[in-house]
Amino acid sequence: MSRPPESAPRRIAILGNPNAGKSTLFNALTGLRQKVANYPGVTVEKKTGFCDLPNGRRAEVIDLPGSYSLQPASPDEMVVRDVLLGLQSDTPPPDLIIFVVDATNLDRHLYLALQVIELGRPLILALNMMDAADVQGLHIDIAALERQLGVPVIGISAAKGTGLDVLRDLMTRDVEPSLRHFREWPSHLQRVIERLEQRVPRLPTVPDRARRDVAVAMLLDQGEDDALAQHVSADALADAHLLARRLDEFSPGWRSGDVAGRYEAITALVAEAVNAPAGDRKDARREAIDRVLTHRIFGPIIFVVLMGAVFQSVFAWAQPLMDLIDWGMRAVGNGIGSAMPEGPLRSLVVDGIIAGVGTTLTFVPQIAILFLFLSVLEDSGYMARAAFIMDRVMSRVGLSGRSFIPLLSSFACAIPGIMATRSIDSRRDRFTTIMIAPFMSCSARLPVYALLIGAFVPNRWVGFVTLPGITLFAMYFLGIVAAVVVAWALKRTVLAGGLPLYVMELPPYRMPAWRSVFITVRERSLLFTRNAGTVILAITVVLWFLASYPKGGEAVRALEAERTQVAATGDTTQLRALDNRIASAALEHSFAGRTGRLIEPAIEPLGFDWRIGIGLITSLAAREVMVSTMATVFNLGSADTDVQPLRKILREAVDSRTGKLAYSPLTGISLMVFYVLACQCMSTLAVVRRETNSWRWPIAMLVMMNALAWLASFAVYQGGRMLGYGA
Amino acid sequence: MKRRVRAPQMGCTLDQLAAGERAVIDSVDCPPVIARRLMELGVLPGTEVEVIRRAPLGDPMEIALRGVHLSLRKSEARHIDVTPS
Repeated sequence: MSRPPESAPRRIAILGNPNAGKSTLFNALTGLRQKVANYPGVTVEKKTGFCDLPNGRRAEVIDLPGSYSLQPASPDEMVVRDVLLGLQSDTPPPDLIIFVVDATNLDRHLYLALQVIELGRPLILALNMMDAADVQGLHIDIAALERQLGVPVIGISAAKGTGLDVLRDLMTRDVEPSLRHFREWPSHLQRVIERLEQRVPRLPTVPDRARRDVAVAMLLDQGEDDALAQHVSADALADAHLLARRLDEFSPGWRSGDVAGRYEAITALVAEAVNAPAGDRKDARREAIDRVLTHRIFGPIIFVVLMGAVFQSVFAWAQPLMDLIDWGMRAVGNGIGSAMPEGPLRSLVVDGIIAGVGTTLTFVPQIAILFLFLSVLEDSGYMARAAFIMDRVMSRVGLSGRSFIPLLSSFACAIPGIMATRSIDSRRDRFTTIMIAPFMSCSARLPVYALLIGAFVPNRWVGFVTLPGITLFAMYFLGIVAAVVVAWALKRTVLAGGLPLYVMELPPYRMPAWRSVFITVRERSLLFTRNAGTVILAITVVLWFLASYPKGGEAVRALEAERTQVAATGDTTQLRALDNRIASAALEHSFAGRTGRLIEPAIEPLGFDWRIGIGLITSLAAREVMVSTMATVFNLGSADTDVQPLRKILREAVDSRTGKLAYSPLTGISLMVFYVLACQCMSTLAVVRRETNSWRWPIAMLVMMNALAWLASFAVYQGGRMLGYGA
Repeated sequence: MKRRVRAPQMGCTLDQLAAGERAVIDSVDCPPVIARRLMELGVLPGTEVEVIRRAPLGDPMEIALRGVHLSLRKSEARHIDVTPS
């Protein structure tokens, strides 16, 4: 083993099964010195951090995604395999691996451990949750494990912090790789693998012992293995596929031929090293909790109540914080505004940049609160039970129970909802969930629904409910129907295929490690602010420009002249009315106003005129901006967005060309349907871009949703008119 | 999927077991990639498995083997042949 130069930090990877407590150990070792990025080309997150070692050197620690096997079944596991084999171009293989296992469940966690030990890289086996093992009366013979595995073994509790000093000390040592092998292939398979091994290119990052694993990967390849295609010649890969097909014929079952052998080795190992108390090793506490939480009747009730509480908290707790941020940003804007001379620069800073930063920050409370709940639910083990309960329902649209909570969160805001899809293992399910999340009516649509229902839907009782109530429900329901249809279509076309494998581990219940919960909340909030925030800021500035320029125009100049005269009289009521008319005329003259007129022919069939067109354009910043835009367009001060007068104005607005009423109730319904289905929120697109690591998906979302919205509104408006509703 | 005809004493498939019943796995009969993953998770021939419960809506089911609890859909459990014990 060649020593890295003293100046370079040691590169240490933390690895293990999901639920081994890997991330808790990572957080305990690195604290807040972490950064998150994506592995190139995939949507897998790369978490790295720094840790000071007792010898004064620094270690760069990588938290590899949780995996079950080196034969990957998901993009996460693919990255892990590539890093460990030395095939991941941006991440050189680690100098040392800390393999974390759950000490109470060596039987299963050792499977991947044995695979990784066989690679011949320096490795320390960390038996985590030793405290829980003690409570269960498990006695683990660490010396026996070291002897059998050929690697250093250490007992720790990452959550309690015990054993970490010894671990840090071990991290400074040079660890000799193990020479053990724990599997045997039948001789005919052995020959095939050895033959393929000759075809594996000699790479400096792949140790000799790992070349065999590259050969096995070639043999098991399904033609979707990018790293193999990149490093191994197409010829060799084609030969491997041919050999695999021949083996399929003559030796069915060969693909899992090595699994049983490894488990036999584990059984022998555990029998020697672990002394369990006699009798049934059933976890009584787990059983008691599960009997309630997954009960046929109480289970779903508790689930609904819990989800209701989470949903309500995101809504209710976030609101005061959002108002506070809003107020704070306005105070900052006023402060800076009064310090700067009036002019375009001040307008840019106050109405463009500060407003953009404000928009970004107002999302943070929702994201922070949602991830506080989600990480507590995930770490405690409840999330897997929620997925267990909801799986049947979600399977109807080709998804799994894991998609339910991100979709539910999207009713508050699609942004934290889309960020929450990270817990979905299957890439295809995750992308489907992302694509349908914005159909859930978010809280920003509510002010628009409220305005339009108030303006156009008569407040009449129909049986037990009111007409406005039914309308509001219908809008939420329409979003859900659209989501179901789109999910169904996506899973049958572009996102079809993949492994139809929904097996999922139901981990034991555990107390969440609060430090880890806090780090997750902080990390998600920062990630959003940094990545999506810049896009949101840019979009706000562009929209500010469109709504402010070009300045002037004849109508504005005439009104400003009038204002000079009125100002002399000191009539403040008339002055305010004039100011509102100036704002309206200026908006009409701006690029946004012109675009409203420009798109009028496209939206006229939906029953919208150019004034609504302006509202649609400014909605790109955030949907609720529609309300204040309409107030400005109709000469109401945009500052006082009291909806009462605006409702009346919308109802009585006149089309200047025909002299008739501009909007009918049918227009209102058509516009609401448009808001349900259209992709207007640029912030959502910024988050989709980050979460899918490509521009393809946000662009597809924009086109698909807006086409759907246009068609649906067209059908509503034109259909309604044919039926005689469009008075 | 092909339904194989079999003498009754030879056992049944995992999805046919009721909560609380135990069995020994005989074979895993799904496409090779899925079979491999199930085996890697411990669903191996010769392993004893216990059905813990079914989800409130009847599917999926919770099973325990080698000290691990797994959630398995009926469509997956159908391909696992077992002998009740």
